[in-house]
Amino acid sequence: MACNTRNKYPAQVFNNENHRLNLYGDNVEVDYRGYEVTVENFLRVLTGRHETAVPRSKRLLSDEGSHILLYMTGHGGDEFLKFQDSEELQSHDLADAVKQMKEKHRFKELLIMVDTCQAATLFNQLQSPGVLAIGSSMKGENSYSHHLDSDVGVSVVDRFTYYTLAFFERLNIYDNASLSSLFSSYNPSLLMSTAYYRKDLYKRRLEEVPVTNFFGSVMETIHTDAAYKALSRRNSGRFEDEMSLDQSVHHIERRMLIKVNDGYEIHDINPEGEEGASKCPWSTFRNKFQKAENVDSLVNYGLVAMIPLLVISTWLVQ
Amino acid sequence: MVLLQRPHILLLLIGTHQFLQCWIAFGSVNEEGQKQEEFSEELLLKTLPDHKLLAHFHFQSSAPPSTSNGCHHHLFPKAISQLVQKFRIKEMELSFTQGRWNYESWGGFDPKSSSNAKPAGVELWAVFDVPQHHIDASWKNLTHTLSGLFCASINFLESTATYSTPEWSFPPASGNVRYGTLPCEAVCTENLSPWLKLLPCRDKAGIALLLDRPSLYRGFYHSQQLHLTSTGSSSEGIDSGIILEQTLTVVLQPNSEMAIEVHASEKHIQPSWSLSSIFGKQVSGRCVLAKSSSVYLLLDRGLSAANGLTSENFWSNPSFELSANPDRIFLEESSSHSKSLSILYMFQVEKYCESEPFDIGLMWKVPLAWFCQQTPLHASSANSKDGSCELRVDVFQVVPWYVKVYFHSLRVFVDQQPRAVSDIIEKIHVSPSKDKCLLGFLRIDEYPPDANQGFDIPSAIISFPNFHASMVFLEDDSLNKSPLLSKFQEKCPVMPYTEVLLVPLTTPDFSMPYNVITITCTVFALYFGSLLNVLQRRVAEEERFLKAKAAKKTGRLPLLLSKLSAKLRGRRLEPLHSPPSSSSFINSKLVLKVILVAGLAVGWQYFFS
Repeated sequence: MACNTRNKYPAQVFNNENHRLNLYGDNVEVDYRGYEVTVENFLRVLTGRHETAVPRSKRLLSDEGSHILLYMTGHGGDEFLKFQDSEELQSHDLADAVKQMKEKHRFKELLIMVDTCQAATLFNQLQSPGVLAIGSSMKGENSYSHHLDSDVGVSVVDRFTYYTLAFFERLNIYDNASLSSLFSSYNPSLLMSTAYYRKDLYKRRLEEVPVTNFFGSVMETIHTDAAYKALSRRNSGRFEDEMSLDQSVHHIERRMLIKVNDGYEIHDINPEGEEGASKCPWSTFRNKFQKAENVDSLVNYGLVAMIPLLVISTWLVQ
Repeated sequence: MVLLQRPHILLLLIGTHQFLQCWIAFGSVNEEGQKQEEFSEELLLKTLPDHKLLAHFHFQSSAPPSTSNGCHHHLFPKAISQLVQKFRIKEMELSFTQGRWNYESWGGFDPKSSSNAKPAGVELWAVFDVPQHHIDASWKNLTHTLSGLFCASINFLESTATYSTPEWSFPPASGNVRYGTLPCEAVCTENLSPWLKLLPCRDKAGIALLLDRPSLYRGFYHSQQLHLTSTGSSSEGIDSGIILEQTLTVVLQPNSEMAIEVHASEKHIQPSWSLSSIFGKQVSGRCVLAKSSSVYLLLDRGLSAANGLTSENFWSNPSFELSANPDRIFLEESSSHSKSLSILYMFQVEKYCESEPFDIGLMWKVPLAWFCQQTPLHASSANSKDGSCELRVDVFQVVPWYVKVYFHSLRVFVDQQPRAVSDIIEKIHVSPSKDKCLLGFLRIDEYPPDANQGFDIPSAIISFPNFHASMVFLEDDSLNKSPLLSKFQEKCPVMPYTEVLLVPLTTPDFSMPYNVITITCTVFALYFGSLLNVLQRRVAEEERFLKAKAAKKTGRLPLLLSKLSAKLRGRRLEPLHSPPSSSSFINSKLVLKVILVAGLAVGWQYFFS
């Protein structure tokens, strides 16, 4: 589509009037395009029911630990989404496909984002656990485009998508933004519709789920010639916890990442100060206690702590 | 004895023995694996008579028979070698094209045009090395694999209605060839990315660095092709050597605003060009994995004649100037029927690096006009006695099965004059599609979503079997034969293509299924609904039942009996003749009483206040 002769900028697709970013890039690969985009092929991809000759690149190779992001946009209405101006995807078909996926263990968590008119109706019939869905508008509401690019001659981005992208562009690499902050960032007056989301099928709390659960990124890798010192940290804690611990222990040198003219340098001077264990045993004990996720390890700790007590008591008795 | 007493001498001897063994083994392996994998990249630039620029990228990768290498490749793409081995492909060509090759202005009888002018869309043909009854299954699996590899809908070629088996009209003629084409397939970056990933240096180094996607797709014509040849037959073993040629042919318009300094009046007529003005990039060195990396600039016969260049004074350029000096100049072997020669300038990319990038540009000093060889073919015979000449032409045309062709209305024109068909046509072979002759029309779900646009009839291939196009250059160094030049020197068949035809066929009313379903369901609902009503429902049944019951229970004994039965059942039945309106009656009486009292109170207050 980007190379259609009616496109003034061939092989380029923009999502903003300023033409700053070419979404089509240099290495894009599209698996289903043109006449192959049909409801049948879509449901086959979701459920994995392909003919034997279909190659692996056209299959969704997911298993019971996968997190899947399904993003749909276009024209739609009450419980349907339009495909190719000639057929429709109905909400009960989508719910059926998701149910089949769940039975065949094809996903652990699924996030469905729909940006069409009356988008929230498309996931009315969903019943499978582990599914989170958000639509750009509720029943009876339209979703609107954001702005028109008068150079290319069409509207280049829709409002819901625009504000989703704006949310992600505000984050930096260390923000551990959660899905609830994403979902609450939508302003109905800016969207001109109500973004409605459905979390009754999703067991985890949205404040605990990071957005990187579903949204990945392609980061530009910068090659540095200088070798960096290997970090010998145990992966028991998250980065912010360590930062807070380090800040509480002021005389241990901290590990810092400094951005120097598009290059990164890592200083690691004192490996002993990893967890501040030598100076703050109580805080580490407390942290360990908090981090113990299951009761078994707690019981183990308790049993272990009881042994010296037993030894002392028998010695006292003797 | 001496050895045992001097253990270090013993150790030294053992060590040298081991070393010699290794060296011999290594040497023998080296000797066996003498044929290594090779990769070469070339770029050919040519100014066309209508002042557009033709850029032809040629990447060739060859893998020796894998008995020496095993299945390990270090340059050759593994996806292709797996494809060849799995489907037993002897030869295959896949091309993605957008645009139309303008035979009148750009030529049709030189080796470049005959091998690189392709029809719009996707064209695939393949020759298999399997028994006849397995070929269709191999073709189907091949189309699916290629559609996954190149992100295109090549899998639509799997059905027997879309591919054909040409027998004598298609040049690599044998019984094992299958040919299919999709005329309306779009070609874009997603088809180029996997094609580039087959190259060892991808598009990160070497000549492929020039491939700027917006510049490529802004051109008038671009065609990316993949041609596979498997050397050796299945009798030698499963694995045979493979030669992979990837070519990309682009016709671009040099940007006249960015023309390098030229006379102000000619800027619009004859734009000068350079690689950086066309692609926006420069070649910053060769791909280190390439055996050879060169750029050629071709002046065809018409241009060199217009320049006044002959074999004596080919060095001088009165009408244009090159921004870099060529490393070598090749002349075409002189042919008898024309005095002018093609001249080829060669530039070695090895000499350039990132600090000194390679950028070739051509600046016109004098306006020139020239013509290319007339196309598709201009044949004249001076040898025949009665002045006539015979020319054999093969035409191969695939027509979709739903388009009815009336073969009896075929007319042939020679030199604009109509001729009798039996004089001109020697043989014609029509093979109808095997499994679609019964129905005769498309079902409603077989129509494409934009059926009202029309249906495409693919290009016909016209081949002249008695003519071959080749261009032989005089080379004094025959060892370093470049793949591009050797391809020029091969005799390749002349095969121009006609244009794709868009036929608007009558389409059905696509809203009819919905209308039919709605009307049918309404009729069914009305019919069966009324039928059930008439048969099953009895009107005023309940009231009659109640009346009958009330009429029956007027006597005292039935009343006692009913009371007894009511007591036994736990007083669930209420007395039948208790008036149903009693509750409302009581309520109205109460309300009246309340109103009366309220009225009295108001009157009392009013009269005595």
